[in-house]
Amino acid sequence: MARLRLVITYVALAACSIIILIPFAYLVCASLKTSAAFFSSPFLPPGDGWFGIAWDQLTLSHFTRLHSELHFERQLLNSLFFSATLSVLATLACAMGGYALAKFHFRGRVTLTALVLGMLVVPGTLLLAPTYRLLYQLGLLDTYAGVLLPLAAPAFGVFLFRQAASSTIPDALLEAARLDGAGEIRTFFAIVVPLLRPMIGAFMLISFLSMWNNFIWPQVVLQSGAKYPLSVAIAQLKNVYSQDYGLLMAATLVSILPVLLLFLTLQRDFIAGLTSGAVKG
Amino acid sequence: MPRGPHHRDAWVSPGSLGLGVWIITIVAAASTLLLALQPADRNPGLQMWTRARTHFNLYTPFTAEWNAHVPPTEHVTLHLLSDVALEQRMLAGFLTNTYTADLIELERRSVGRLFTGPADEIGFLDLTDRLHETGIFDRINQPSFSPWTSRGRIYGLPHDVHPVLLAYRADLVADAGINMNEIETWNDFERVLRPLIADLDGDGRPDRYLLNIWHTNMDMTECLILQAGGTFFDVQGRPTIATTINANVIARIVSWVCGPMRIAIDAPEFSAAGNQLRLEGAVIASLAPDWLCGVWKTDMPGLAGKVRLIPLPAWTPGGRRTSVWGGSMLGIARRSSDPEAAWRFAQQLYLDANLAEKLYREAGIITPATDLWNQPVYDEPDPYFGGQPVGRAYINAAPGVPLRTSSPYNMLAKARVQDAVYDLRSYAIAHDEFDPAVLAAEAQHLLEYAESAVQRQIQRNVFLREDAK
Amino acid sequence: MNAVPPRSRWAPYAFCAPFFAIFLLFGVYPIIQSAVLATQQTYGPKASRFVGLANFKDLLADPLFWRALWNTTVFAAGSIFIQLPCSLGLALLLNQPKLRGRAFFRLIFFAPSLVGLVFVAVIFSLIFEKRTGLLNVLLHGAFGCDPEFPWLESYVMPALIIAALWMYAGFNMVYFLAALQAVERDLVEAAVVDGANAWQRFVHVTLPAIRPVGAFVVLLSLVGSFQLFELPYLLLNATGGPDNQGLTLVMYLYQMGFETGDLGYASTIGWVIAVLLGTFAAVQWRLSRD
Repeated sequence: MARLRLVITYVALAACSIIILIPFAYLVCASLKTSAAFFSSPFLPPGDGWFGIAWDQLTLSHFTRLHSELHFERQLLNSLFFSATLSVLATLACAMGGYALAKFHFRGRVTLTALVLGMLVVPGTLLLAPTYRLLYQLGLLDTYAGVLLPLAAPAFGVFLFRQAASSTIPDALLEAARLDGAGEIRTFFAIVVPLLRPMIGAFMLISFLSMWNNFIWPQVVLQSGAKYPLSVAIAQLKNVYSQDYGLLMAATLVSILPVLLLFLTLQRDFIAGLTSGAVKG
Repeated sequence: MPRGPHHRDAWVSPGSLGLGVWIITIVAAASTLLLALQPADRNPGLQMWTRARTHFNLYTPFTAEWNAHVPPTEHVTLHLLSDVALEQRMLAGFLTNTYTADLIELERRSVGRLFTGPADEIGFLDLTDRLHETGIFDRINQPSFSPWTSRGRIYGLPHDVHPVLLAYRADLVADAGINMNEIETWNDFERVLRPLIADLDGDGRPDRYLLNIWHTNMDMTECLILQAGGTFFDVQGRPTIATTINANVIARIVSWVCGPMRIAIDAPEFSAAGNQLRLEGAVIASLAPDWLCGVWKTDMPGLAGKVRLIPLPAWTPGGRRTSVWGGSMLGIARRSSDPEAAWRFAQQLYLDANLAEKLYREAGIITPATDLWNQPVYDEPDPYFGGQPVGRAYINAAPGVPLRTSSPYNMLAKARVQDAVYDLRSYAIAHDEFDPAVLAAEAQHLLEYAESAVQRQIQRNVFLREDAK
Repeated sequence: MNAVPPRSRWAPYAFCAPFFAIFLLFGVYPIIQSAVLATQQTYGPKASRFVGLANFKDLLADPLFWRALWNTTVFAAGSIFIQLPCSLGLALLLNQPKLRGRAFFRLIFFAPSLVGLVFVAVIFSLIFEKRTGLLNVLLHGAFGCDPEFPWLESYVMPALIIAALWMYAGFNMVYFLAALQAVERDLVEAAVVDGANAWQRFVHVTLPAIRPVGAFVVLLSLVGSFQLFELPYLLLNATGGPDNQGLTLVMYLYQMGFETGDLGYASTIGWVIAVLLGTFAAVQWRLSRD
């Protein structure tokens, strides 16, 4: 009975896995097919070659065209820049802010904490229009800073670090450091950061991922094609290259591969990061 | 990692956490450095945005020629953008004083949003006086100015006329022994061609139909409404959506796309899927503006020699046998660094006899400059269309092209009318009623709703109210 | 808290400064601005006119707004009543004792949620295509379904829900799985001793135990659903789709604010979204307290 149940479980899991993997397989196949062979089959074109596949109807030309025609590497670089830089900036700002809110008594602490808690429930979409006008007034539209700065201080980030700092940093340790004569900055990097490491790793990863996949904000702020991240560039390719499915799919594959690889190497931290909000939920 | 039967996966393994931090930090540093080292990407001289691949290919050699004869500050660099991107970047640039190209070639659907605000916020140079001073105004087919005119001023140089004919599969029609000369009206079209509807793959469902049109395609609806003499706005810009003409046209379209008398198939232009259907012979006839001929030649060489053109079937005997679909203008950004050079380039590009010839040869598009219409190129037989003198066919249709509105709310009107078409189709299916004469009453009702929606948006606009004072 | 005071009374302010400088400028100030904007009609960020409460009045009389609200609600309902049960199902499968390869399956199920909505939309725009799309080709080949099934024409919402299901089922599964793994084994075993069958054990032991996480995931899905934008925007080529079937609140906000240029109207829609989400959060908080 238990064995039968296990078998059924495996069958169900395998079926679900196949369904989930089909779009990925489709994406890979589509990016390799020549335009002529595109409609010959849903996946790889059938033929006389090995495994019954017409290998001569497959091509890597879509990928080389990404480079030669579209200079797609610039968009890839932009995406890496936006995601990694935001991740570092936001983590630094939130870790320092969260630590201060959790571990210091100072005037205004209660007000600031209340502001952060209040902002937790404000959806980003409400801020879209006014932040856009603010960037215009500051002359930051169509700049890298205009994309990054408004995203660099997320309320939930400082909230997470405040929770983590209060639960993992013993006061005694800080006091001991101060008695030893360590400066506040040294204390922060030598004692606080190592203790916050799990949260730092997790938060950096989710910041990276969310910036990589962010579309609406760079789409609103940026105008010059040379500054576009992949998400915005892909959306526009979809219009211009609507007949060039292979190219479009190759571009999509190149766009999602980096995060999938990052995820494969750091799977556990990713999941820990993405679920970290739920623990206190 | 040891895992006993009750041991649960540890979600966080502290040892590896440092790795992600380091990877991301290094990527941040490296990408910042690489971007800092990138050369400034703006070319010197004038920039031009265009939205159509055919135009881009055509203008590239012309621009190279121009650049060889002018100082570097007047060099023109072309950029191909998608419709959506061009519209978004142009509007954002105008509204926020950020960067736009100096010359922008703009499709008709994008122009309305330029005209929704106060007149002094329109980012394009007012060309009205220049057009009159140079005499260009009188050289160009008058209807071509209408979409680019707001509050009496002209903001763009017209690129085209874009008359519409009917393209059909001459090979399939001939095989069936059908004579296209019997077709004068849409009634004839349905009656004469109906035997061609066929099940090609033998699955019991017809997959070849007579006309490429669909209840979700607002360009085609607008094209047919204009042909029938319908409008969305009057000359004062007041909505005129709920008219009997419009109601009859959309009722007829609905009777085409569903029900027992269906003749329509959805084969979108500019898409691989639509082209596939055309190549398979699933589409007999298509509404064909002049620009479509160029697109087809590039994207579907397989149709060469198999297609021909006839005037559009009329809505009533003796009625108009053409319409208009699409259209572009060339505008000069008010904040351009060198508007005079941009204006010189614009005139060259749009009024040059050689380029007009090339525009026809390579993109199938006839020039709006009426003094160039007698050029012999338009009489050359076109092998793609079985030796027909295609250019002459379009030029013959050009004077009959209907006038169009410049209302900033035209896109909104189109969208609401299309909602009406969609809802009318649902109504037809729900009531099992596909007779256009009966559907027209419901169509009228739905169009009244559409008109009130457009009216409400117009009344909201405080800027237009101020300018009207 | 601190027996030994920090060496400088300015230390906490210095630590707070980077975050709160940005936070006040780009978080708090825009909120105040959005209240101001909601009383204006604008044409881009430069031209604006005060219109008082006209935006709210117009919004309430705007059928497209109601359409967008309805569509968004349908999508949210799809997420909660279709997607979450699937997620729970996957989690229950993976929580079977003696299962091998759990980490492997978890990896596969989770992978789609890493792909951004934009990229998912591009992939699915080909999958949902009418005659040549993968979904119709497979359904036609396997079951002889209509090869012209009009997903993005007449079934826009189901299509969006399917795409979101593919993307997020595995993501929400992770929360459920974490909760299931925390359920006391003793409790389940006690129920076995009491003679409870599998269904009774599920209803009386497992479900109550994972309720808090369930409530959290529901809130998360609601928040995500009410901010839906990229998927319909790309699948429907920057329109609301046929008959506005795919028009969502954020899409309408985007169209009004950044395509038409009326940031005032957009802010008004933003406030509606904020109030709705605030209400959901308050209800969830109330429920989780009991």
